[in-house]
Amino acid sequence: MDKENLFEFAAFDKLESEHIAAPRYSYWKSVWRTFFKSKFTVAVSIVMIALVLFALIQPLTSGYDPTVAPNINDASKKFLSPSSEQLFGTDNIGNSVFDAVWAGARNSIIVSFVSTAINMLIGVLVGALWGFSKKMDKWMIEVYNVIANIPFLLLAMILSYVLGAGMRSLIITMTCTSWIYVAYFIRTQVMIIRDREYNLASKCLGTGTGTIITKNILPYLVSVIMTYISREIPNIISYEVFLSYLGLGLGTTNASLGRMISMYTSFMSGYPHLFWIPVSVVALIAISLYIVGQKLADATDPRTHM
Amino acid sequence: MSSNKQDREVIISIKHVDISFDVGQKKKFVAVKDANFDIYKGETFALVGESGSGKTTLGRAILRINPCSAGEIQFEGKRISGKISHAEDREVVRNIQMIFQDPAASLNERATIEYCVSEGLYNFHLYDNEEDRIAKVDKALQDVGLLPEHKSRYPHEFSGGQRQRVGIARAMIMNPKFIVADEPISALDVSIRAQVLNLMNKLKAERNLTYLFIAHDLSVVRFIADRIAVIHHGEIVEIAESETLFKFPLHPYTISLLSTVPMPDPIVERTRKHIDYDPSVLDQSGEKREMREIRPGHFIFATSKEMKEYEEKIARKERELGVNR
Repeated sequence: MDKENLFEFAAFDKLESEHIAAPRYSYWKSVWRTFFKSKFTVAVSIVMIALVLFALIQPLTSGYDPTVAPNINDASKKFLSPSSEQLFGTDNIGNSVFDAVWAGARNSIIVSFVSTAINMLIGVLVGALWGFSKKMDKWMIEVYNVIANIPFLLLAMILSYVLGAGMRSLIITMTCTSWIYVAYFIRTQVMIIRDREYNLASKCLGTGTGTIITKNILPYLVSVIMTYISREIPNIISYEVFLSYLGLGLGTTNASLGRMISMYTSFMSGYPHLFWIPVSVVALIAISLYIVGQKLADATDPRTHM
Repeated sequence: MSSNKQDREVIISIKHVDISFDVGQKKKFVAVKDANFDIYKGETFALVGESGSGKTTLGRAILRINPCSAGEIQFEGKRISGKISHAEDREVVRNIQMIFQDPAASLNERATIEYCVSEGLYNFHLYDNEEDRIAKVDKALQDVGLLPEHKSRYPHEFSGGQRQRVGIARAMIMNPKFIVADEPISALDVSIRAQVLNLMNKLKAERNLTYLFIAHDLSVVRFIADRIAVIHHGEIVEIAESETLFKFPLHPYTISLLSTVPMPDPIVERTRKHIDYDPSVLDQSGEKREMREIRPGHFIFATSKEMKEYEEKIARKERELGVNR
C-alpha cells in the first residue's frame, strides 16, 4: 500500500465537541447523596429520628399528667431506682420518671419546632425584602435597634404574667422578638449577594424583585438557613428548659423537662438519677438535632457536592 | 465615507449626558462628562478606554441601570433616560439587551440553562404555550451553537465560551434591536475569542442588530467595529470610523492607546514604542473644549487652538499617505 492511502480525513462534527460527558447534576439529589455518604451522620440521624418520634408518641400511650399523683401516699413507690419495671425509677411523689421525661421532651420539641418554623418563616420573608430594599433598610434598622435591645428575660417574665403560663404563651414568648434576629441575619446575607452581576443580568431581562428574590437569592441561602435552623431548634429547647426552670415556662400543668430539673435538683445528693436523667435526655435531643442540622447544612452547600 | 450619514437611521442618541455618583455627603464623582454621540442602525459602535474611564457606566446608562445626572438618552427618537412610564420601561428592556463581561458571574449558578434562557420569555410572556417556549429555547441554543440537551444542565458544567454563548442566547431570545456588549470577550480564553466574535457578527447580520461594543482591546475593536469612540476619564476625546482612527489618530490619548496594541509580527513588534499620554501637551489656556468635526465623521474633543494643530497634523498625514478626503 502506498503512503497516500494510509490516512484519510475523518468526518468532523462541530456540534460533537459541545456534548457534556459528565453525568447530569441535580441539586437535591446531590444534597441527599452527600448527606448519606457519612455513616456517622446516618447513625446520628437514626438516633435523632428515634428520639423525636418516641418523645412524640410515648406520652400519648402513657397519658402522663403532672397534676395527677396516684401514688403520693404510697411510700414504697417513691424514689425507686431505675429497674426493669420502672426504667428511669420514680420520683418524690411516686410518678414514673420515664413517662415524665418523655412528656416533657414532647412539649419541648413541639415548642421548639413550632417556634423555629414561625421565626424562620417571618424572618426569611422580612429579611429578604429588608436586604433588597434600601428604603426599607433605613427604618427597619431602627426597628431592629429597638427590639434587639429589649432584654429577653424581662420580656419572658412580663409575657408569662400577662398571658399566663402554657404552651401557647411560651411559643409567643419565643417568637415575638426572635424573628427579627433571623431577619437581620438574612438581610446581611441578601446584601452580600444582591449586587452580584447575575442579578443585574436578570434585571436587564425584566425580572421583577419578587422573582429575583425567590429564584436568584434564596436558593443561594438554603445552606445558611439550614445552619441557622440547626442552631435555633436546640437553642429554643434549652431556652424552654431554662425558662421552666425559673418558673416562667410551661407552668405546673404541663410536663416540662425544665421544671423537672429544677424540682429534682434538691434530691441531687440522695437520688442523683432524678437530676441526671432529664438533663441527659435534653442534651441527647439537642445535640442530635444540632448535628443532623449541621450535616444537612453542609450537604446543602453545593461546594461539598464534588 | 460618511456622505450617507444624513440618511442613516439613528437608533441611540446620547445627548450631553453626564453620569455622576454620590460619594459621601455632597461629594460627587463624575464618571461620564458631556457624552454626545449617535449610534446608527445596523452598525457596531465601539467604546474604547482604559479601566475606570466610564465606558461601562455609559453602557449601563443606556440600559437604565445608571441614571443620567444631566442630558438625555434617546432610543429611536424617544427619551429613555430619567423618569418614563412603566410601559415604556418594559419596551426599553425588551429592545435593549446586554451581554456581560464575565459569563461565570452573570449566570445564576442555581438555575438550569433552560431557566436562564427562558427568563426573558417568562417576564414578557413571549410564548404561546409550554411547547412553544421549549421550541424557542431550543432554537436560541442552536443559534449560538449549543445543543438542546444542554437545557437541563447548570452553568458550572460549561466552559467559558459555552457560558458566554448562553449569555448571548438569553439576550437574543428577546429579539432585541440594540445590544450593549460590555467587554464580551475579555474574560474568555484567547482561543475562543474569535469564535464568540464571529458568532456575534453572524447574529448581527441575520437579525439586523446594532451593537455598542465596549472594550479596552483595540485589536479586537478594529476587527468588529464600524466606528470607534475613545473615552478617557469620562470624556469622549475622539470619534471616527475604525480605519480612519487607526490611520489618522489625532488626539494624544488616542495615539498613546494605539501605541499599546501588540503587533503579531515579531520584527515590527520589537520596534514598537509605547507613547505615554501626557495631558500637558494640550492647550492649557482654560478654553472649554468641545466636540469638533475635523473631517466628515471624524470628531475630536478640542479647543480652537488645538483644532489648528490637529488640522495641520491631519493634513500632513494625508499628504504622506496620499489620501484626499
